[in-house]
Amino acid sequence: MSLPAIAIHSLVKRFGETTVLQDIDLEIPEGKVSCLIGPSGSGKSTLLRCLAFLEEPTSGMITIKGEALGFFENAGGKRERLPPAQIRTVRSKTGMVFQQFNLWPHMTALGNVAEALKTVRKVPKAEAEARAMAQLKKVGLENRAGHYPSQLSGGQQQRVAIARALALEPKIMLFDEPTSALDPELTGEVLNVMRDLAAEGMTMVVVTHEIGFAATVGQQISFLDHGRLLFSGPPTEIFAKPRHPRLDQFLDTYLDRGASMLA
Amino acid sequence: MIFDPTVILDKLPEIGSGLLVTLVLWIVGIVGGVVAGFVVASARRFGGMAINGVLGLVVEVLRGTPFLIQVFLLYYGGPFVGLMLDPIPCGLIGLTVYAAAYYSEVFRAGFAAVPPGHVEAAECLGMTRLQTIRRIQIPEMALIVLPPSVNLAVILLKESAVLSVITVPELTTVVSAIGSQQYAFLEAIFVLAVTYWVIVEATDRLGRLAERRLSRLRFSKA
Amino acid sequence: MTIKLFTLLMQAALYTLGISIVSIVIGFAIAILLSAAMLSGKGIYIAPARLFISFFRGVPLLVQLLLIYTLLPVIGINVPSIVAAIIGLSLCTAAYQAENLRGGFDAVPKGLVEAADVTGFNPRQTFFRIRVPIALRLTFPALVNEAIMILKSSSLVSVVGIIELTKMAQDLSSSTYLPIPIFASAGAIYLVINWAIALVAGRVERSLPKVTA
Repeated sequence: MSLPAIAIHSLVKRFGETTVLQDIDLEIPEGKVSCLIGPSGSGKSTLLRCLAFLEEPTSGMITIKGEALGFFENAGGKRERLPPAQIRTVRSKTGMVFQQFNLWPHMTALGNVAEALKTVRKVPKAEAEARAMAQLKKVGLENRAGHYPSQLSGGQQQRVAIARALALEPKIMLFDEPTSALDPELTGEVLNVMRDLAAEGMTMVVVTHEIGFAATVGQQISFLDHGRLLFSGPPTEIFAKPRHPRLDQFLDTYLDRGASMLA
Repeated sequence: MIFDPTVILDKLPEIGSGLLVTLVLWIVGIVGGVVAGFVVASARRFGGMAINGVLGLVVEVLRGTPFLIQVFLLYYGGPFVGLMLDPIPCGLIGLTVYAAAYYSEVFRAGFAAVPPGHVEAAECLGMTRLQTIRRIQIPEMALIVLPPSVNLAVILLKESAVLSVITVPELTTVVSAIGSQQYAFLEAIFVLAVTYWVIVEATDRLGRLAERRLSRLRFSKA
Repeated sequence: MTIKLFTLLMQAALYTLGISIVSIVIGFAIAILLSAAMLSGKGIYIAPARLFISFFRGVPLLVQLLLIYTLLPVIGINVPSIVAAIIGLSLCTAAYQAENLRGGFDAVPKGLVEAADVTGFNPRQTFFRIRVPIALRLTFPALVNEAIMILKSSSLVSVVGIIELTKMAQDLSSSTYLPIPIFASAGAIYLVINWAIALVAGRVERSLPKVTA
């Protein structure tokens, strides 16, 4: 068995008094699509944001490809913060896609994708733009390169955001409800790009309400409820009947997101 | 009495030098205030709670007290703590500090107006804080901070007239002195008012023009 | 810095407060006229109102005060200097308050006016029962801001010899050679008054109903 892409160990996250994640243990397998599902407020987005180090865990450890993310345990067993440059190195193994796209409005689609290549990787402008263009082509938007985000549909914006994350060639892609902000007729184009990515063998962690996508593309399904990981496993196992009553209840509310096919 | 503003016009070179001092005070105040104000706003946002609290209090004090009192404190109180300033440097420092307090609030609002997700996206891609400020936050807030910045520039020009009280040889000082010498005080003050009015109107128009230019850029279309 | 000096400053602060309040109130009355002129849609009213607002917003208050000071006697109006000072402050704040009011009227949600129209209000009723109260409600924060501005700006009337807080501080400073404690105390008094205004206004603001479209 090879090293997991991400290993989460005893992860706890609190915001003040509220515990959002309790004692999460989870391994994300290499080269597979892992879906985090669960009701609103279950902590699935917070877990993903911890993986992107946008939230700092209160306690516990996360390793990405065997390297500690943000903190490490010193000889005395105490948690210590890693230096910023090292945090950036580990973070660069992941790419993040947000629910709200978060494209920079003052840059074109091409500018958005090329930006980090230029500023972070110090790639010369012409090469950065050529590489950005290749990414846009991959998501089918090479003819929109000169458009600003405000001139693109939500689905197109999200595809640019995926291209932007891919440009730095991450080993793992993190998706935070990538289709939740989209009109229903626009979710398909984004999900298709994600399917292509999965077919290429990209390791993906997807927080989603698209049960249909999770059941067909997901290879590992993790169900969170009230900050706890209730269970995790392959979809055939998770969605097979008899199901956990909380999962059944949850699926009932998502019949129109593809859960009906599991009925 | 015959109202004849031309009496003043014999003194054009003197008026010109006063206008020059006013413009220098104004521009230094704006540039210094923008730079220092941006530093203060950044320090408050990224420097932790203690720095935010202390700087916040200083800004509140500067915004809550009359500029005239601040100038008096600096000019008359300075020598008691070893800060002996001539009127012009005193005016420059006073106006810049005052401007910095107000500009810092403009930029604070500017930082707050950039959606946090846009900053998180930069962070996830490995951009450093400085890169994020320079490449993402400043350009995104530009359109938002422009109108209040122009407004503030106008306020600073008008506040600079207050420096006549500590005999800074700026426009108000020079023109009212000429008025007294020529026994044409009303004419002098009239010329003075019109001069300020023209500069303020021109600044306003320029600001609105810049705003239209910026908002015509394709990206700012909602 | 003695109790006696501080007491003198506090007494002078009452003048500052009085001058400011009177100016705000008179300024508000003038501002209503100005904004009515601006909203009238008739050029003969709009043009002078616009000129007035542009002038008083475009000229430093200090220069306005000097102008009024020299102008009034010339045109045969001889009033005590305190009256001239209040006239100056009132005209200046009127220009700013008129702009605020106009902004408030512009911001009244269109849907609320339409709702009144279809309910059968006549234009006059719609204006006085819907647009005016909502515009005033929307303008309230700006009005508070303006009150604080005027309180600070009133320090400028010291230049024409009115013995309010700033002038008192200046006089005491030169007679006692204690500029730092005296100006700092004067500044602190301005600050406390402004904070009190902001505090009370915040309470009032929260108690007022919210306007939503």
